[in-house]
Amino acid sequence: MKIIIVGAGEVGFNIAQRLSEENHDVVVVDKDYNKINHIQSVIDVQAIVGSGTSPSVLTEAGIRESDIIVAATDSDEANLIACFYAQHLTDYITKIARVRNPDYMEHGDFFKREFLNIDLIINPQSEMVNSMLRLMEIPEASEVIDFVNGKVKLIGVTIKEDSPLVGRKLSSFQNIEEVLLVGVIVRGEEVIIPGGQDTIQPNDLLYCVTRPEEISTIFRLLNVRETGLGRVAIVGGGTTGLALATSLDKRNINTKIIERDSQRCLELAEKLEKVVVLNGDGTDREFLIEENVADVDIMVVMTGDEETNVLISLLGKALGAKKTVTRIGKLSYIPLVSAIGIDTVVSQRLSAIRAILQYIRKGKVVCVAPLKAEVAEVIEFEALETSDIVNTPLSKVKFPKEAIVGAIVRGEEIIIPRGHNMIKPHDHLIIFALKGAIPKLEKLFTVKLEYF
Amino acid sequence: MRFQQILRFIGILNVFLGLSMLAPLVVSLIYSDGSTSSILQSFIITSGGGLILFFITRSGDYSSLSQREGVAIVTFGWLSAGFFGCLPFVLSGSIGSLTDAFFESVSGFTTTGASILTDIESLPRGILFWRSLTQWLGGMGIIVLSIAILPFLGVGGMQLYRAEIPSPVVDKLQPRISETAKILWKVYVLITLIEIGLLFVGGMSLFDSICHGFCTMPTGGFSPHSASIAYYNNAYFEGVITVFMLLAGVNFALHFKFLRGDVKVFGRDPECRVFIFALALLIVLVTFNIYGTAYHSIAGAFRRAAFQVTSIITTTGFVTSDYAQWPALSQIILFLCMFAGAMAGSTGGAIKTMRIILLIKYGFRELFRLAHPHAVRSIKLGRKPVPEEVLSSIWGFFILYVGLFILAVIIMSALGLDVITSFASVAATIGNVGPGFGLVGPTGNYLAVPDLGKWVLTFCMLLGRLEIFTVIILLAPAYWRK
Repeated sequence: MKIIIVGAGEVGFNIAQRLSEENHDVVVVDKDYNKINHIQSVIDVQAIVGSGTSPSVLTEAGIRESDIIVAATDSDEANLIACFYAQHLTDYITKIARVRNPDYMEHGDFFKREFLNIDLIINPQSEMVNSMLRLMEIPEASEVIDFVNGKVKLIGVTIKEDSPLVGRKLSSFQNIEEVLLVGVIVRGEEVIIPGGQDTIQPNDLLYCVTRPEEISTIFRLLNVRETGLGRVAIVGGGTTGLALATSLDKRNINTKIIERDSQRCLELAEKLEKVVVLNGDGTDREFLIEENVADVDIMVVMTGDEETNVLISLLGKALGAKKTVTRIGKLSYIPLVSAIGIDTVVSQRLSAIRAILQYIRKGKVVCVAPLKAEVAEVIEFEALETSDIVNTPLSKVKFPKEAIVGAIVRGEEIIIPRGHNMIKPHDHLIIFALKGAIPKLEKLFTVKLEYF
Repeated sequence: MRFQQILRFIGILNVFLGLSMLAPLVVSLIYSDGSTSSILQSFIITSGGGLILFFITRSGDYSSLSQREGVAIVTFGWLSAGFFGCLPFVLSGSIGSLTDAFFESVSGFTTTGASILTDIESLPRGILFWRSLTQWLGGMGIIVLSIAILPFLGVGGMQLYRAEIPSPVVDKLQPRISETAKILWKVYVLITLIEIGLLFVGGMSLFDSICHGFCTMPTGGFSPHSASIAYYNNAYFEGVITVFMLLAGVNFALHFKFLRGDVKVFGRDPECRVFIFALALLIVLVTFNIYGTAYHSIAGAFRRAAFQVTSIITTTGFVTSDYAQWPALSQIILFLCMFAGAMAGSTGGAIKTMRIILLIKYGFRELFRLAHPHAVRSIKLGRKPVPEEVLSSIWGFFILYVGLFILAVIIMSALGLDVITSFASVAATIGNVGPGFGLVGPTGNYLAVPDLGKWVLTFCMLLGRLEIFTVIILLAPAYWRK
């Protein structure tokens, strides 16, 4: 598949890198010579210096032979115009645009009509707010990803030292086998697709698949007290902060929002109903104690400055916040901040990248979620009748070592599989895999993990 | 620097090189010329050595080759090709000394065409074939070939490609580097086959047609005859070879676009227009200059002038006439052509038209700035502005090219060569041309150059083919510092 990516910023770069590694033909267009020079020397893509809003540049990039255009520059208008030309240069091209301005998003349907006919509009902010809301549903988990429209949940849980599971082999989980499956263990820098012989150690981050209704059972097992979402503090009342506060407001969750700028506080107070708006500095320890802000279930830190966010989160943790969610802009910071004790990181760019990749790889692959540092992935896809794996017990299927089937979804039924389970045609499978195993999986499923 | 990776890659390269020796092996069997066993030995040593290197090194992750590792692989890869490539010459006894054999082999791979052989016809056919094949392999690049064949070189391939391709700006024709490499090789093979066909149809023996085809497209210039193309004295052959030398001097990306149906691409490309115009102008100048003095018909003068100017400016180095006897103006033109070279992205050597155009524009911009001190002006090629980074790298290239040229000329003259030979031998090797003036002129060869001089010239050929930077960076202390 040939894909044109307009904009070689962080979002464009990361999407280009992933798609190129998956053997797609990628052409990147950017105005900045230095960015083009860099991207071309680091990843195997064709890179063209030029404006993505110019029809001649798009033609040079081969838009007529392309299947998808991803407009991911920092400018909404440039993205829309790139899609506009794409629409008029080729009829069948799939168009994905990153649009951030909330005014545009309010009437996003306009862009999907015949004039532009954009197939997917990605709003990084709302993607990020959604992923935060999912997290808040299960505050005990450090990550929550939905599969099959939420019928299957993937949760990331850190094992505490006093957990009853510490030191146990996975094969000893007789009673809960049908309830939960541990797909990936992250131990420090290491990412493991576990087998029955692996044991659980303190501070492991486990990624497990389960049914939504079993989640409390799991937390009981893990000796994690389920408190539900009581109080939330949001530091930083920018557009994202406001969007999150508005959603929490609607759900009647006890929320406080802290903003340094008094003018902005007035605006926030006008727009929000029950949320308590506090005018103060999030880095002020006394202030946080005085307003009892730090002692909350979740502290969401999303000021405009990412370094400040990290510091406020650490402060909040020290003052007693059970969990912190920190907004980070630069993707390269993400591995660093988890090392210094930040629980959960959200990033507009990461959310945008995930959303775009999920869309591009749809088809037989329904959903993909990259885990921790992008080393592992969870892939949801449909088993075809033509594939070798159907109607064979799982224990007989020659699966690559670095991959594991986490769940089988057959209509309304959700099976956490064991060796004797069989895959039937049209089942949806949820597979954990390390990056290296993906080519092997492709072969196994005969249908490529691509767009057909 | 991960030396394991570098050695492993050179191992792979050697296996390829060894396999390519099977072609001359077949030729020597057909003609039973007595060189079969020596070529077989070379094959075993080269691929055996490659396999050993491959198996003793750890398998690694090529996707993350750094620029540094890229240049090391390319430079050492070429050195190793030069070394193993000279085995057939040495083992068959065709060339006595290792220095001479290495010179001949590097001259082949770098598509220079400078030879130390005096009686070429006396060599076994298999060896002659190998000699031509080295040029053909070196022309589009042994590294580019391996990128085309080995898909796993994906990302790292770009570093290698950049280090080997003879152009200041690297143009990717396709999203994937391996596809780009494949396209270039396909175009190269196709044009070579057409030329071989045309020469054969015109009555040249099949062996000679293949050898000349293999040496024209890479702008090499080896011929299985001591007298080069003058041996035939045939206007048809000269015409065909002139046209194909010209094609070889054009950016291969343009050929690809042309073959895909973009017929106006040659006229639209600014560099191509300048190149063709300059070539035509020089041919006319030389024609009128040699008409009346050396040749008595205008057609005869044109035939020689067109062939010789094209041959030198594209850095091929085929010879149809003893241009050392031509009037001074023509000799000077040919000498300067050795520096000019053909288009960027062609198989030719030397400075190249694109760099010269941009250097001249740079000079005029400075003049303009003197007149308008506050003027802001960007240098454009066609309608596209050229980034300042590219301009400064071209300046760097030019300075290094001239500097190394001067250094080598001083060494050559210190070794006792006369003025003309010192200048011409270095110009002809660093520009990958082949024949020069004086001792190393169209009727002479490099045998008489002292051994140390041959090593210097060998180094010059490598510098020229890999566009200075790739080789010279390995000599910089900063490169090795951690």
